[in-house]
Amino acid sequence: MKRKRKINSISIPAEIACHIVLILFCLLCIVPFIFVVIISITSQDSIRAIGYSFFPKEISMEAYSYVLKLGDQLWRSYFNSFLVTVLGTFLTMLMTILYAYALYRKDFKFRGFFTFWAFFTMLFGGGLAPTYVVCKTVLGLSNSYAAIIVPMLLNPFNIIVMRTFFHSSIPEELIDAAAIDGAGEYRTLFKIIIPISKPGIATVGLLSALAYWNEWFIPMLYVRDAKYYPLQYLLMQMQTKVDFLVKNSSMIGAEASNIISTLPSDALRMALVVLIVVPIACAYPFFQRYIVSGLTIGSVKG
Amino acid sequence: MKKKLLSCILAAVMALSMVACGGEAAPEAGTTSQSTEKTEVSKEEAAPAADVAATDLEPVTLKMYFHGSNVTDDSAVLDAVNAYLKDKINVTLEPVWGTWGDFDQNAVLSLQGGDDIDIYFTCSWSADEYNKFARDGYWVRLDNPDNNLIAQYGKELWDLLPEVLINGATVNGADGYGVYAIPGYKDIATQNCWDVNVTLLEKYGYTVDDIKNTDYYGFEEILKTVKEGEGADFYPLLVEGAVLERMVDNVTIVTGDSGTGNFMSYYLNPSDLSKPGAYGNKIVNKFATDEFKKFVEQTRKYYEEGFIDPAMGNKTQANDTRTNKQLSGQYLIGTQSYSLGYELQASQERGIHVEMVPCTDAFVDTTSSQGAMMAISTASKNPDRAMMFLNLLNTDPALMTLLNYGVDGIHYNTNADGTITFTDKRADYQPWTNGMGNVTILPPTDAQGVDFWDGFKAYYGTAKEIPILGFAYDGSQTETQMGAVANVVSEYMLSLCTGTVDPAEKLPEFLQKLEDNGINDIIADANSQLDAFMESKGQ
Repeated sequence: MKRKRKINSISIPAEIACHIVLILFCLLCIVPFIFVVIISITSQDSIRAIGYSFFPKEISMEAYSYVLKLGDQLWRSYFNSFLVTVLGTFLTMLMTILYAYALYRKDFKFRGFFTFWAFFTMLFGGGLAPTYVVCKTVLGLSNSYAAIIVPMLLNPFNIIVMRTFFHSSIPEELIDAAAIDGAGEYRTLFKIIIPISKPGIATVGLLSALAYWNEWFIPMLYVRDAKYYPLQYLLMQMQTKVDFLVKNSSMIGAEASNIISTLPSDALRMALVVLIVVPIACAYPFFQRYIVSGLTIGSVKG
Repeated sequence: MKKKLLSCILAAVMALSMVACGGEAAPEAGTTSQSTEKTEVSKEEAAPAADVAATDLEPVTLKMYFHGSNVTDDSAVLDAVNAYLKDKINVTLEPVWGTWGDFDQNAVLSLQGGDDIDIYFTCSWSADEYNKFARDGYWVRLDNPDNNLIAQYGKELWDLLPEVLINGATVNGADGYGVYAIPGYKDIATQNCWDVNVTLLEKYGYTVDDIKNTDYYGFEEILKTVKEGEGADFYPLLVEGAVLERMVDNVTIVTGDSGTGNFMSYYLNPSDLSKPGAYGNKIVNKFATDEFKKFVEQTRKYYEEGFIDPAMGNKTQANDTRTNKQLSGQYLIGTQSYSLGYELQASQERGIHVEMVPCTDAFVDTTSSQGAMMAISTASKNPDRAMMFLNLLNTDPALMTLLNYGVDGIHYNTNADGTITFTDKRADYQPWTNGMGNVTILPPTDAQGVDFWDGFKAYYGTAKEIPILGFAYDGSQTETQMGAVANVVSEYMLSLCTGTVDPAEKLPEFLQKLEDNGINDIIADANSQLDAFMESKGQ
């Protein structure tokens, strides 16, 4: 008689093959990061002698101690990144939910128009220069936290994800029921709809938190004052500075090599990468269970 | 009904976005602001221009966009600068400290977006490229015959600049052939040198004179001896491919030639740089000349004998490898684009005795003369005051020192002999010294020594101008070909110029590809532009 097997189980060789593929994929994701960590603790002499290597000649914490000496600016940027991420995500969620909820309501007359209004911007962007003019000159966004948060406040993709989530997981009868019980529009939304939409909110929330945490381009455009630099931009600035000086060294003259020598070493840049990744990587597991249920909730409703 | 409305909106938005995305919408903005600026100027022309007391002038705020700064705390400096400026020209300065890397994108956006910035840093190598933006009408023409700002407010400054700088800044712009920015008096000359590790050279019984008395084609014996003595891992020739080619063939780059993929050459006359070279006042395809062929063959030979590190032919490794080998002194002869005093600095950094052996005298070409300039934006509401400020900045040592080096007693201390020593505070306030204007009126630093600026002026002030100084190629008619050619160049050039591939096989292939992608159209276009330029220059 055949050995009894669990329901849904697959043959042993297939399982091994799947595992190998998945393990390789995991390594592909993790190894670069381990490499970054190793480089960040490699001494500059070792980099000079043998280049980047998994097995450095000499370990040194120099980069991290330099980072700590960077002092105020580093902590300031850390704080900015957190502030922008938390505040930005909160505001984004509020706006996205309000917009998406309106689109979800069948009794909203201009539903089609506003869906299109949001959707259209996914197809056609305004272009960099006009966007810049609107933000800077018309809205007066420069040198403030608002300049970092506002341009990314509303993302049409998020709106559509959220609307689809509402459609697939919230029965319309619920709204009628709430209305019969005497709930106004705001109470219906905040007391009834939002509490049962947590998976969807977590998904969109994580997406926008990641977007805010990783953003460097918008601060580059609108922020001049180092007081408001987020962490990513600080790192980006070090990187572009080095690249630019190398590219133009023949034009800038011997002064360029002088400046390059004062810029942070490779190890330091890697140390900053580690510092940037760690907080957001820590936040990820908490959101993840929601994401899985958030993305699948519509398909396997039973 | 609903559908109709929708399609109407769709059409409207699309039309709008087309206008907005059309890219060249910006010059339009430029011209409008220009015309408003002109009316304003004509209003002010009624008032007597020169010799006005500061108190008679309206107080204005000038915004100035710098490049390459590393400034985290400018409060002390700005307090001092603005107190000083108030008495002099009743101006409040608001600097925008652009950094390396960010400047390119931000300055261009800020220009195209019509920001209220009065003065921009510009040059031949940043993205707000002087010649292009002058053509497109973003800069105020400073010697406009109708409203000559230089004659009115900038005489002292103009008298002080070497003639080559003025010639280099005179270009064909939106308002005719003239000056569109104030060139900075910095290390304006180009001189390519062999960077010689004398310590190592003397170990093998040679002297610097042995290098001086020969040229690239005669290095073989010396390189061979040293290579044999130092072992197989040692590569005596430390080269940057592109610079090496320019040094050996005595050519200079043509401004406006697409960025890093320089493919046009102007041949210099090594015996007299102010005279046309072997090909006359013509621009040639860099790679199709006999000189180039001879050069790559020799380089290949050196490579095969193990004189050149294979890493130098690899774009991503070349620069790091070069810096590391320089710092550890693992080379015999290198290439270097020279600036005055570099050999002392290099000797100190590398812990060896370094000498620079020049290939030609120092010369000034368009790229180097336009190395750092300050232009007044056509969006500026006070171009005349901006010019007054630039004049003061470039002629008044007190102001220049204040803005460039910081406050005496805070950012630096003055020594008894007149030199200055920077303090720790300087780390918070480091603008790009050479990007600010006339640096020759600064006090020397203790590292430079008391006589530094005399030597500086003697060296750079007397550098010869090449015949085509001021010419910059306008590639707007040949954009497609430029892009395609630049791609081909980046594929072949570095490996050919460092000998990592065989020229017998690759050079003909390279030339064929260049031709297929239309290099001849570009060269012909460039030459007709050059002829026209030489004509307007001749007048």
